[in-house]
Amino acid sequence: MNKRILITGMGVVSAIGNNVAENYDSLRKGESGICKVKYLETEHIEFPVGEVKLSNDEMCLLLNIPYTDKESRTDLLGMLAVSEALQSAGLKDTEHLALISGTTVGGMDRTEKFYPDNLSADILENHDCGSGTDRIADYFGNFDFATTISTACSSALNAIIVGAEMIESGQKDIIVVGGTESLSRFHLNGFKSLMILDQSICRPFDADRAGLNLGEGAGFIVIESEDSAKRRGANVLAELKGTGNACDAYHQTASSENGEGAFLAMSKAIAEADIQVTDIQYVNAHGTGTPNNDACESTALMRVFENKMSKVSSTKMYTGHTTSASGSIEAIYSILSLQHQFVPTNIGWSKADDSCVKPYVVGPFGKIDNVMCNSFGFGGNDSSIIISRYGE
Amino acid sequence: MNMKKAVHKITITTTEVVVDGKPLDVTCLGSNIFTELYRKYVNDYPKYFKMDILCKLGFIATELLLQTEGKVRFEPCEDRAVVFFNRSSSLHADKSFESNICNRESFYPSPAMFVYTLPNIVTGEIAIRNKYYGETNFIVIEKRDEDVLENIIDGVFTDNMTTSVVTGWLEAESEEEFNAEIYIIEK
Amino acid sequence: MELKEELKGKIIDALNLEDIVVTDLEDDAPLFGEDGLGLDSIDALELIVLLEKNYGIKISDPKEGKNIFKSVNVMADYVEKNRKK
Repeated sequence: MNKRILITGMGVVSAIGNNVAENYDSLRKGESGICKVKYLETEHIEFPVGEVKLSNDEMCLLLNIPYTDKESRTDLLGMLAVSEALQSAGLKDTEHLALISGTTVGGMDRTEKFYPDNLSADILENHDCGSGTDRIADYFGNFDFATTISTACSSALNAIIVGAEMIESGQKDIIVVGGTESLSRFHLNGFKSLMILDQSICRPFDADRAGLNLGEGAGFIVIESEDSAKRRGANVLAELKGTGNACDAYHQTASSENGEGAFLAMSKAIAEADIQVTDIQYVNAHGTGTPNNDACESTALMRVFENKMSKVSSTKMYTGHTTSASGSIEAIYSILSLQHQFVPTNIGWSKADDSCVKPYVVGPFGKIDNVMCNSFGFGGNDSSIIISRYGE
Repeated sequence: MNMKKAVHKITITTTEVVVDGKPLDVTCLGSNIFTELYRKYVNDYPKYFKMDILCKLGFIATELLLQTEGKVRFEPCEDRAVVFFNRSSSLHADKSFESNICNRESFYPSPAMFVYTLPNIVTGEIAIRNKYYGETNFIVIEKRDEDVLENIIDGVFTDNMTTSVVTGWLEAESEEEFNAEIYIIEK
Repeated sequence: MELKEELKGKIIDALNLEDIVVTDLEDDAPLFGEDGLGLDSIDALELIVLLEKNYGIKISDPKEGKNIFKSVNVMADYVEKNRKK
């Protein structure tokens, strides 16, 4: 990269906590937030999910906005996470900010609730992903640029990448980037029709893994140029050292056997970071728990790292697969790994699979300087970033 | 869009198709245009018929553009990105899938339909067809804003790999409401 | 209509096989694989939906599809034995 890009704020809400501290606590304790559905009105109760433990009216109360049942849960989750990110970056009162948010569900959770008989124009107008990001921006009033990335499960990581590209090319100095997604019957049924949901808590990289659990949440980070951070005396959390996006060009939903897209994305990120694979101490894997992803991602990891594999774990058995928000939520977990010098345990893993990496469960590890974070989306959209300790 | 380095351009509306300034002969109207163009200019990719209208529009527009470009096809490459923008995301596919699951008595969610409820599947389809392993992306914005498009495309070229981008506005709200303005832009 | 002919029509319809007509589909030709119709994993899932929608047969393990969808003959056989409507 020509400019150093620093991370100066973060905010997250997920099944394992309503803010960064709570999420960190759950990760440290190895406590999953996946359980029987409570807030989503669905008949498919056989699939455990990673719901945020707040109802919509509770979120409205926290955000100090009136509750009408027309607010999209995706928006509310996003507002909470952006709020924490701005606060942690010391930007609550700063004007002319930019926001890039990744989402696919958008206002779908409202449209499906009121479809078809009670679908009024105002609900329908709030359906699309773009308007959701605008509403999040409008809530704060200090954003003058807002855009949305919608690339399925890699959306949030791609929002981070696009944000970094805009700083690199001199368009912006500071951008709030990330993603938000709420559960919906629409995509719960969709994933069910693809037959990739597990009726137990998911077991990424385990030989008996049987699919993923859906989750919801929002994660946003503040990225800015080193100049901007120095100018305003920002507290730096970490550095965004490398990014990579590549296409698997194989199938709309399945990954190629040799994990080509994943391999290319990870290789790009490593090249951009200008480090060796041995400099990476931890990989927060995409690790959804599906037979296909975990095998293909493992193949790609083994191609990248060869016999110098770092510690690898998935955190999706804590939060569920938060789809469009997964990249930024897990980027925040990667930052926590650096800050607190720990590796999240791949809980629930017990049986090694020959075609998979052996994830980190227990054991010692050395100093963590660089963490890789992966997100792979349908459409073969594969992304990887490297986050590093700053100033070493 | 600022055409500074656009080497080829195609526009497709409900009534006409224009490639590099030259209108193509089309007799159909609405989304029937896509299949007319497919039969005339492609006709070797049966997966086309599984696509939803956003994918068909993006696929056909890109096919015609690449044929006009005249370079060797289907050779794996990493230096071409595919980045599209629109306002309505995958709305038409969303509605189709929702109609599949809104009736309790006839509840058969279609996996093939669900796949297309992601706007970026079109970038995936183009990448699969053309063996593009480079960056792909789909950006949703409230209003078409050429500055936003240009800013983001400028950013795509900042990795040390991308030398060209297939990009532009790709909107397909319904069988009768769509428009595409797609470019090949070089570094 | 004979079950096999009926199935062929439904397969073509469900999988959007625009360039194929019922008479093109041979009874014992492989549906999947290199010599097949170029179908993929999503097509297999669609056939699972087809079985439930039209014949009331529920398949819970997608891996079963490999055996059931070998050919029109095998599919018709399976439907005869397991149909609920």
